[in-house]
Amino acid sequence: MGQSFRIISDIRNIETIASGRGVHIRKYLERYYGRGRWRKMKGVATVELADGTFWEAEIHWYEAHGIGRRDFKIKRLIR
Amino acid sequence: MSQFVICINNQGNQASLIVGKVYRRLPDSQAEAHQMFRIVDEDKSEPEGYLYPASMFVPVELPEEVQRVLMAAESGG
Repeated sequence: MGQSFRIISDIRNIETIASGRGVHIRKYLERYYGRGRWRKMKGVATVELADGTFWEAEIHWYEAHGIGRRDFKIKRLIR
Repeated sequence: MSQFVICINNQGNQASLIVGKVYRRLPDSQAEAHQMFRIVDEDKSEPEGYLYPASMFVPVELPEEVQRVLMAAESGG
């Protein structure tokens, strides 16, 4: 998932934010990860930041069947 | 605080960030306390941006005219 932070719990409250043409970076997702029915997702998880601190955070990511979850990002730190 | 940064590392976020591209950085004191920047990345549907490690960027000072153009492009698409 990359080096920016580490997800150390299950992801809860998972929702689909966008799908199809509503996924604004679809062209980049297809370029780097492949063609698929990309969806933009959100959820809440405990994360470890690069500075070693632990937080509950709202995270977003993109996923497609057969490709998996990509580009996890922190939207906001909750507590 | 520089409002703009250049991405120097997009590991793990290859679709959301392009190495060498200038991005807008938004003020976020909580993020900065953890060596993170709030960045408006390629997903312009999220104008409030995302938190990324500061180490993935280098702050840059741009001429005012360039800043105006980039801000206008961001808000106008």
